[in-house]
Amino acid sequence: MYYLHSLGIFISPSIHFFLQEGVPFDTIILILMLPIIATLIAFFGQVLGIKAFGIYTPLIVTFAFLATNGIKYGITIFVSIILIGMVMRFILKPFRLLYLPRVAIMLTAVAILTLGLLVFGGGLRRTGLAAVSIFPILIMITLVEKFVAVQIEKGNKAALILTLETLFISIIGFFIASSEPLIKLIALRPWVILLTIPLNILLGKWTGLRVSEYFRFREIFKYL
Amino acid sequence: MLDFFKKSRQILGMNSRNLEFIRPFNLKRAKRLADDKLKSKKILQKNNLSVPKLITKISSHKELDNFDWQSLPNSFALKPNRGFGGEGILVVYGKKKGRDDTWVKANRSLVTIEDLKIHIRNILDGFFSLSGTPDIAFFEERLQLLKLFKPYSYRGIPDIRVLVFNKVPIMAMLRLPTKSSNGKANLQQGAIGLGIDMATGTTTTAVLGKNKIIDYVPKTRMLLSGIKIPYWKDILALAIKSQDVSGLGFLGADIAIDKVHGPVIIELNARPGLSIQIANLAGLKGRLKKISGLKIKTLARGMRVGIDLFGGEIEEELEEVSGKKVIGTIEKVKLISKEKNEIEISAKIDTGAGFSSIDTNLAKQLGFEKTVSEYEKLNIDYEKIKKLNSEERKELFKNIPDLADTIIVHSSHGTTYRPMIKIYLIMDNTKIPVTVSIIDRSNLKMPMIIGKRNLQRFLIDVTK
Repeated sequence: MYYLHSLGIFISPSIHFFLQEGVPFDTIILILMLPIIATLIAFFGQVLGIKAFGIYTPLIVTFAFLATNGIKYGITIFVSIILIGMVMRFILKPFRLLYLPRVAIMLTAVAILTLGLLVFGGGLRRTGLAAVSIFPILIMITLVEKFVAVQIEKGNKAALILTLETLFISIIGFFIASSEPLIKLIALRPWVILLTIPLNILLGKWTGLRVSEYFRFREIFKYL
Repeated sequence: MLDFFKKSRQILGMNSRNLEFIRPFNLKRAKRLADDKLKSKKILQKNNLSVPKLITKISSHKELDNFDWQSLPNSFALKPNRGFGGEGILVVYGKKKGRDDTWVKANRSLVTIEDLKIHIRNILDGFFSLSGTPDIAFFEERLQLLKLFKPYSYRGIPDIRVLVFNKVPIMAMLRLPTKSSNGKANLQQGAIGLGIDMATGTTTTAVLGKNKIIDYVPKTRMLLSGIKIPYWKDILALAIKSQDVSGLGFLGADIAIDKVHGPVIIELNARPGLSIQIANLAGLKGRLKKISGLKIKTLARGMRVGIDLFGGEIEEELEEVSGKKVIGTIEKVKLISKEKNEIEISAKIDTGAGFSSIDTNLAKQLGFEKTVSEYEKLNIDYEKIKKLNSEERKELFKNIPDLADTIIVHSSHGTTYRPMIKIYLIMDNTKIPVTVSIIDRSNLKMPMIIGKRNLQRFLIDVTK
């Protein structure tokens, strides 16, 4: 067990070794958080029935949130991108374009307007917004394609619900991944992340009703 | 609380469906077959199961460029081969008058060749396919709506989903397209799902969209329960056979009824949805458990097991739901005589007749001898009375006791003019006042027929 002076926490020998090899502490923690967030998303999907856009999207949005300066900017960008995506679909509808070009135009619009948002943030002296690095923004722009695909497949309402679910999971993921006790625990005992494997095996064999299904089938209960 | 969890074990959820039924019973090869509409069409056809006829297919952009649009018939359905949830399906009902290159959709909007091209390009690019992979577009004959379903469905064809497991039909649902589902028979998009009694093919309960339990077609007084689906046994047989042929252990067969060809399989589904449980207000898992251990050798046996286990009790349920009683085509009824005695007879239920009628002798037994004899004295025939106006007729009949009315009846025996009396009828423990006409039925089997006028409170089961 070593003591990391810069953060004032105890770390395990393996983490100490990684640090000595030049891997930044934040990167180590982010990577080790990945299985935990992924398990969280699996739990939300299998047991609670909150589906979001698969596992990848909420995961990467969580990390995008972690990489923006404060979650409020992350959420602002997220919401404005989805809003722009919705408006653009409405505008592009009468043109009846093929799928890929349509999404390309949508992405262009989202990109331009996101840039506008950053400038606007700067104008309001919200320098935090303008200082958000490009990668989390790019990550969130890719959301648009997911959103559009679901929108076409299942309609506006379903797409919006999945988006809100994604946002919900990502916010929870953000708070878990940035919670100090958890970071301390992982720094001290990195092997705990292996516990997610048996946990996921249990989740993968879970055949009970999801919490959302109790709600979905509520009418049937009256007749059983 | 404990009871609640016990109940929840009757219901099939997503997790259980995937892990315990789709994974072990729907193998990859069978799933691929179900996802490929053209291939499953071919295999079903080879096994003599009826499917909508294929007109032609377009599998590449090159084929699309060289396509002869005049080879298309006036009406057709254009579908993506690997589509799902009814997406990407375009149906036209006929060509626009005087135009060779424009068709008309159910909502009367026009479809030009250019529109078809864009739609087909989208299909080819995999826009509607399961995994977004490039796809094939095909044209098939348009199914024609059965008259029976016409008042219930909006711009589309209702279909019947039958879930089959282990050769046993376990649950079925009739899906009606509505305005909000835009003519699509898809519950997620707002169609109506009707539960079906497995034994009789009669609809029971109904759900609108995802979760709303309803009794009537929205904004009408049309009862959704008690619709008798024609060809029911054929539909079950078709579903069970298609399971056998496709190799899908847990199958959702989508069957539509065509006006000309009868039941046809429109789609095989390897991942059947769970809403069928809401439409039937019953749990699938309980049913699946019941039959999972059974060894079922023949398809006929499978059908029998399904009917016995999951059908039945419809009658009481129906009566409960509709408030109407179920009667057969011949029913024992009681008539109350003038002296308040009950006379029991067998009556024929005849929906072809407007009014009910009884035999002359029966009328006499009921205490209406005088009415009969006085009327007979007048010796009226139709030709004579035709010329009189209503005042003159009233005058003619004013001395006949207990005469409620008179009526002209056109029947297979010719036209007769009959006296009518008011009596009480007890049918299936319900006492109803009826006005019946009197006619000589001595050469007929039943002394009474009960017509439409007096059947409003009943549903008729012809098999009873």
